[in-house]
Amino acid sequence: MLPDFRLARPQSAAAAVALRAENPGSRFIAGGTDLLPNIRRGLASPEVLIDLGGVAELRELRADDDKLRIGAGVTLATIAADVRIQQRLPALAQAALAVAGPTHRAAATLCGNLCLDTRCQYYNQSESWRTGNQFCMKLVGDICRVAPKSARCYAAFSGDVAPALLVLGATVELLGPQGVRRLPLAEFYRDDGMDWLALGKDEMLYAVEVPLADGWLSTYDKIRIRGAVDFPPVGVAIALRREGEALAELRSACTGASSRPELIDGLEPLVGKPLDEAGLALLDKRLLKCTQPMETTVVPVPYRRRVMPVLARKLLRNLWQG
Amino acid sequence: MKNILGIWVNGRWREDAVADNALLLDYLRDGLGLTGTKQGCDGGECGACTVLVDGEPRLACSTLAHSVAGRRVETVESLASDGNLSRLQRAFHEHLGTQCGFCTPGMLMAAEALLRKNPKPDRAAIRAALAGNLCRCTGYVKIIESVEAAANAGVAA
Amino acid sequence: MNAPDRRIAVVKTAKEPHGVGARLPFVDGVEKVTGTARYTADMPAANALVGMLLRSPYAHAELLEVDISEAVATPGVRAVITGDACDMPFGVIPIAQNEFPLARDKVRYIGDPIAAVAAVDEATARLAISRIRLRVRELPAYFTAAAARQPGAVLLHDNKPDNIERQVHNEFGDTQAGFAAAELVREETYECAEVHHAMMEPNAALAAWDNERGHLTLWSVTQVPYYVHLTLARCLKMEAAHIRVIKPFVGGGFGHRTESLNFEVICALLARAANGTVRLLQTREETFLSHRGRPESHIRIKLGLTRDGRLTACDAEVVQRGGAYGGYGLVTILYSGALLNGLYDIPAVKYDGYRVYANTPACGAMRGHGTVNIRFAFESLLDSMAAELGLDPFEVRRRNLLQSPTETINGLIITSYGLPDCLDWVESASGWRERKGKLGRGKGLGMACSHFVSGSAKPVHWSGEPHAVIILKLDFDAAVTILTGASDIGQGSSTIITQVVAEVLGIGYHRIRIVANDSAITPKDNGSYSSRVTFMVGNAAADAAENLKRILVASAARRLKVDESEVVWLGEAAAVSGDPERQIPFAEIAEEALVGTGTLTVKGTFTCPPEFQGGKHRGAAVGSSMGFSYTAQAVEVSVDMDLGTVTVDKVWAAIDCGFALNPMSVEGQVQGAVWMGMGQAISEETVYENGRHMAANLLDYRVPTIVESPDIEVHIVESIDPNGPFGAKEASEGPLSGFMSALAAAVEDATGHRFTALPITPLRVFDALHPRGNKKPPPTAKQGDA
Repeated sequence: MLPDFRLARPQSAAAAVALRAENPGSRFIAGGTDLLPNIRRGLASPEVLIDLGGVAELRELRADDDKLRIGAGVTLATIAADVRIQQRLPALAQAALAVAGPTHRAAATLCGNLCLDTRCQYYNQSESWRTGNQFCMKLVGDICRVAPKSARCYAAFSGDVAPALLVLGATVELLGPQGVRRLPLAEFYRDDGMDWLALGKDEMLYAVEVPLADGWLSTYDKIRIRGAVDFPPVGVAIALRREGEALAELRSACTGASSRPELIDGLEPLVGKPLDEAGLALLDKRLLKCTQPMETTVVPVPYRRRVMPVLARKLLRNLWQG
Repeated sequence: MKNILGIWVNGRWREDAVADNALLLDYLRDGLGLTGTKQGCDGGECGACTVLVDGEPRLACSTLAHSVAGRRVETVESLASDGNLSRLQRAFHEHLGTQCGFCTPGMLMAAEALLRKNPKPDRAAIRAALAGNLCRCTGYVKIIESVEAAANAGVAA
Repeated sequence: MNAPDRRIAVVKTAKEPHGVGARLPFVDGVEKVTGTARYTADMPAANALVGMLLRSPYAHAELLEVDISEAVATPGVRAVITGDACDMPFGVIPIAQNEFPLARDKVRYIGDPIAAVAAVDEATARLAISRIRLRVRELPAYFTAAAARQPGAVLLHDNKPDNIERQVHNEFGDTQAGFAAAELVREETYECAEVHHAMMEPNAALAAWDNERGHLTLWSVTQVPYYVHLTLARCLKMEAAHIRVIKPFVGGGFGHRTESLNFEVICALLARAANGTVRLLQTREETFLSHRGRPESHIRIKLGLTRDGRLTACDAEVVQRGGAYGGYGLVTILYSGALLNGLYDIPAVKYDGYRVYANTPACGAMRGHGTVNIRFAFESLLDSMAAELGLDPFEVRRRNLLQSPTETINGLIITSYGLPDCLDWVESASGWRERKGKLGRGKGLGMACSHFVSGSAKPVHWSGEPHAVIILKLDFDAAVTILTGASDIGQGSSTIITQVVAEVLGIGYHRIRIVANDSAITPKDNGSYSSRVTFMVGNAAADAAENLKRILVASAARRLKVDESEVVWLGEAAAVSGDPERQIPFAEIAEEALVGTGTLTVKGTFTCPPEFQGGKHRGAAVGSSMGFSYTAQAVEVSVDMDLGTVTVDKVWAAIDCGFALNPMSVEGQVQGAVWMGMGQAISEETVYENGRHMAANLLDYRVPTIVESPDIEVHIVESIDPNGPFGAKEASEGPLSGFMSALAAAVEDATGHRFTALPITPLRVFDALHPRGNKKPPPTAKQGDA
């Protein structure tokens, strides 16, 4: 049995946003696969839950001329099974399919995975566990258990879909009382385990737009201990465009390795020439520079740090070689 | 706070006063006495609570009862019809797809969702569909064989 | 699978296939697939109070004060109890009882129960728990065996110096001479992480206190209801006659539920304190904290081999981090030594075992009890040494086979031994000769052997009773009801017992019902542990059925008006010899049998003769058994040489289970055991940080999913044990212990690296393939076996 809360079931996004504004102690809930286990563990204590399941407009999935618009409430199962996405945006389909298990994906939504609460082995525990450990700064406590001297929380962003959408150049639509604003997905995230979303208190993630540009190849994969269910200890997305024998554009992003999904910068030197060992070495370097895996899971940091570039190389080589 | 929940459960329309914070699992087990649906973990980790909502597998432990208002919920108790085991139930029984039985209801419902969409799944499809359902007894070998046997048995009895 | 579709024809008159040797579905399978099977948490109890525990946040502390005043005063709270509620320590081994249901004076691990609440609902119980105040004095805490053994360490239990719960030192044969005679001697150390049962059903209990009569009824998830019964009587200071213990459907156990567990006693204490009924459901996290799994083990082992691969001596030292309480611990450490023997012919074995207390949840019995980690070490070292000598892994094992019947140097009696046939099948089925070492980089094959007891020949409580009792009831309805205390926890014991009775009586399945595990109805049984039920209860069931059959034959003779010697028993009927037309149906025979006596209850028993109960040395009872199962298995793996991920592609396992009473069930048990070994080999481990369980959930404690679980092909070898029921032995524990070393060998075949620490995680493989500070890619050529 969960702690007490009231449940609201608005029929439109506008009504949902209005409810959110009226109830400061409220939270949106979509698929519930992240939030409900967290509520059970006392990680969230909303007074009101605003169930977005009744908002049909959030489930729209349509392709315009040069972009795909995915409503925030589209399920991961739908995304993974969509033939257009599989063909044009394979990284997105692969990432959606990599989340948890099929039963989770049937309920879990795009917005839920993009807004997934950051995770940490000192945080994703029961109330009594955290009480015994005197809490951590993400909830109730004073210090970050993975970096006790730090002024910030290092809980890791662990969604699979965000890195795929980052390399695909996605934009998010945020709906607030004043209407819709658009942000590049990269600007939607902050490197702070407690405050990792640039989402206003009265805003909801409304939709995601992904460019359908020609010539792009993309892929996503994550390190796995098991073949299903696990959150990514690290996950890597790569997208590239090839012009003849040259790499024309390259993007890479990681998850599980920082408090936000990281779009890796500084890859320009790889562009304009064929992929070579020096380029791969630079990718290694940039990945390690841009990410900061901490002891947020029982999978140790050294492995996650060392294997991330190996995974990235493997993905990049496979894409490059087609 | 309780509100009236109108919902189809195992083919019957029901209207019950259900607390806002009730999980579908709480409603089925404690409200309706449908204890076939199991709770095996502290939320979303094992698949033992899998039921069908409009034919799709859902974790009843991670679903609010009111969020599936008006929809069709099916539990393991609904699989048999006219006193006959369904083809999946028969296959799990006769091919030892169940040992202790605790994961079985969730396993059956996930497999049922699979067979409705894909009547002749190969082993990879079976593994993919049951990927979120843990079993600790069988090593899964006879579960896979049971689903195959059910698929080969054709239309449900 | 070779297991034949043996719809056996021993029973000629039955309409449906039954009896022993048939691939029968479980007798309780319909309930399981329809959702009507009720487990403890499913028992209807509309008025039950909600029980909840306060567990220690301290790893080691003196308990100065537990202030429950605010909790007691909370509206809706019906009872709050602390360590004051019970001053009787309990524990499965009578000489090692040092655990209280609720801590008194001291807490010894994070999760040790301190107080419990019964309230009208969950929210109230939670509120009351949060209002309990603790005052403690923290003590130094130890999270490894080595730390707990350091000089000057504070003792967890005052009577155990150096925090050593039990040490075992014995030598059989002359190991010094053995090593002197060896042409190759090697010593290696092995590390095994702690693993947990993770049965799918979380712990739960329901207790009803009948205040008028002073009676208690408890429903629980136990594997051994009779231990729970005794423990309740002890801890609640009640007469056992006033207690009733019922085991409903149980969702697996694997040893976790072989001991009485604190939550069962607490639930009963709460019910009595609240004068009512209390349901105590444990979260998955709490179920992990009740642990009782396989201990973290440090193993040093030395073997001597002659040039042609004959074992000359074995010297092993095992250190187990046992956790905070005694539990089964001394049995675990004894098992590790005892079952060094019984698989191969070893002339000399020295063993030193140390079971050490530490501030972690208590370890206990887990599938393959005590034998699993030592088997990993032994088989791994044997493989490495064979490679040094240029011997094939199958060949070195064949050179060390026992000659059955025999008695081992430590007094184990081997009466049937199908290991040679197991080896032959696995070698051939896996394509070993053609494929070993030839699968290419990143692919590999490995093999190993293992064994286990078919029930401990000496029960924990040596009361002079038979080892097993079965009652058959025959009444006016001509139905045969089997009454048994044997706990079916999913392994299918009720089915096996039913098949044995059907076989002996020759009657139809439809005529037989089985009632199991209600202390008010069914005979006491020693419980479902050490793979004893098929062997011991199976024998008792056969005995009971024979006894009933004698009565029925006599009754048939009376009704047919012939001499007993002239009766031809047809199961569902009886006929006159030489005159098959003259016959009477079963119902008539039953009617005759009841004349002048009424309802018949017939008993059958089984007792292990003393000669099987082990040698004369201290602790000799542990490991002794009337029958040992034997397994050989081969494992094929793929290793992702970039990421370090090990995938098991296929397993071939051959088991000598004596005789397969139900071949389908044997396959299921072997597959489950092998697969559980896979979990320990590649992904499962408990993780503690300063004693706090970091992986007390099914995300971080990685039970394999169906995705990475391989096909497991099972071959049954039937050595027909002279003492087992119809020749049967155990099938569900032995196959586990060979897996880890077979996998380690396969990974070595694939990568050139031999791993000596479990689990063989991607992290460990990656580190081996990509040594730090070495930017070079991993070697492309195999390093070979040497």
